Parts: sequence; C-alpha cells; structure tokens
Amino acid sequence: MNDPVIEGYAKALFEVARAEGSLDEVEDELFRFARSYENSDALRNALTDEMIPAAKRQAIVEDLLGAKTTATTVQLVSMVVGSGRGRDLPAIIDQLVERASSAKNLEVAQVRSAVELTDDQQTRLSAALANATGKQVNLKVVVDPSVLGGIIATVGDTVIDGSVRTRLDQLKARL
Amino acid sequence: MKTLFAIARFVAEEEVPHSDSEGITTHSPWLPERAEIIYGSIASVLIFFLLYKFAGPLAKKAMAARTERIQKELDSAAADKAAAATEAEEIRQAKGDIGAERDRLMADAAVQAEALLADGRVAVEAEMAELLTRADTDIATAKSRGIEELRAEISGLSAEAADRAVAESVDDATHQQLLEAFIQKVGASA
Repeated sequence: MNDPVIEGYAKALFEVARAEGSLDEVEDELFRFARSYENSDALRNALTDEMIPAAKRQAIVEDLLGAKTTATTVQLVSMVVGSGRGRDLPAIIDQLVERASSAKNLEVAQVRSAVELTDDQQTRLSAALANATGKQVNLKVVVDPSVLGGIIATVGDTVIDGSVRTRLDQLKARL
Repeated sequence: MKTLFAIARFVAEEEVPHSDSEGITTHSPWLPERAEIIYGSIASVLIFFLLYKFAGPLAKKAMAARTERIQKELDSAAADKAAAATEAEEIRQAKGDIGAERDRLMADAAVQAEALLADGRVAVEAEMAELLTRADTDIATAKSRGIEELRAEISGLSAEAADRAVAESVDDATHQQLLEAFIQKVGASA
C-alpha cells in the first residue's frame, strides 16, 4: 500500500506540472533526476541531512538542476527537499511518473542501457515493448554503465533482460 | 591403801646412813635413796598409767588413722596403677588400631589413587581423541574454507577481469548491435 504522504506529494507535483503545461518534459527530467539521486550517495546525503538548513539544501538543488532543467522541475524538487521529504524524492517522482502515464493510458517502461538511445531507437523500442506486452508504454531510459551492454526493460511486473551484465552474472554463477 | 601405808612404812624404816667419826653422813654410791626410789617408782607408774590411760588411745587412734591413710594411699596407688595399666593397655590397643587404621587408609588411598589414575587416564585418552577429532574437523573446515575462499577470490578476480575485458571490448558499434538485437528480439516476441 502506497504512503498517502508520498501520493499527496506526487499528486501535487503532477498537478503543478500539468498546470504549467510541461508535464512530459518535467516528468522526464524528474525521472532522470530520481535515478541520479538513487545512484549518488553524496547527493542523497546532502539533500537528506537534517543538519544542513533547508535553504542550503534548496540552493544545492538549484545549483545542480538550474542550468539543465526547466524552472518547474527545479522548483518542484526544491519544494520537496525544502519540506524535509528528500528521502522520499525517488518514490514521489515514481508515483508522479505513474500518475502521468496513467493519465495518458500508458504503462511506464523503465529501460536501463549502457549507452544513450537515439530517438529512433526509443521509438522502435517503445513499439517493440508495446508489441511484446500488449500495452502502450511511456519509455523512461536510464543510462547505467553497470549494464555493460544491451538493455534491461521493466514494464510493470515484466522484466525483459538482454544485458551483458546478466549474461556475465549467469556465466559467473555457472563457474 | 595398804600399799601406800606399806610404802610409807618402808620409807620411815629406812636405815639412817651411818656417820663416820667426823660426823659426816655418807650415801650408797650405787643406789639412790629409798624415798627417791619409791617416789620415782610411783611417779613412773603414774606417768605410765597416765600415758596408758590418755596418750595410749590417742596414739592408737593416730596409728590407726595413719594406717588407714597409708592403706588409702596404697589403695589409691593400686587403683592408679591399675588405671595406668588399663590406659597403657588401651593406648597399646589404640596404637594397634591406629596402625591397622593407617594400613587400611593407606590401602584405601592406594585403591582410590589407582582408580583415579585409571579414570584420569581414560579421561585424558578420551579428551585427546576428542581434541584430535576436533583438530581434524577444524583442519578439514579450514581447508574447505580456504579452498572456498580461494575459489571465491579466483571467481571474483575472474569476474572482475571478465567485466573489464567485456567493458573494454564492447565498443560503440557493439553497443548499437546489442541494442538493435534487443529491439528486434522484443519486437518479434509478440
């Protein structure tokens, strides 16, 4: 069962982004930021440390995202961090992405790849995943060098693993 | 009374010592005067009588008491002697008993020591066997753990080497081939 607080924050962020008319862009930026946040201990510690004043944490967010994302994204992340919910940021953003996808009758498809996918590849991959799962998907690509090569796609409870990492792990297990 | 009169008459009839020509009276050089004999005899008899009458019983009593005391002392000494003899006998017996007890205790101690020694020997042997078994187990465990650790180490190093080798060998063209293969495979899996 989802945390009502997280759902509340996700709903608020969703409504703000939709009201601003930049839901797709903000959703994508937030998704990327959430993955970076999960992979960086330093960033996570800085944004969740209660000893650091909220204004200072918000300043860190603005420094990090100010030049790379839309103002709406910066403000939403800053608002969550400033209210002391930095620890819940990935969950809030994932809820927002799911809510946005549901609003468009789409299923979130999280794709982990060692390299960036071109727009053409993303389009064809979306079509392929829709074909394989029978659902229209909202593709979210995460660049993860630990994958080594290939792709790991997660659509709901379905995981399609075509990564070199997994093959290597299977080989190691066999050894 | 007659005796007294006879004595008095004897005294009165005493011969008067004759005087020599010069009127000097002489006495017998060998016998005392008659009166002296009589009075001396009476006094002696009286003294002996008094002694017999009064001192005799006292002396008898004293002698009897002394005899009784000496008898008592003799009896006491005999009793002491008998007690000493009894005690000596008891001591001798006790000594004999102590000796026997000592021998018995020594024998018991020897038996117990032997039993303890045997038990100790068995316990030590059992402990040694257990220690040897445990040591064998520990050695086997350590050996197995060492092999496992070595295997894990080799596996880890191999995995790391494989990761590096793969990461270095997968160039951009390979990445693109892998991506395209995945897209085609997923697209064809409907």
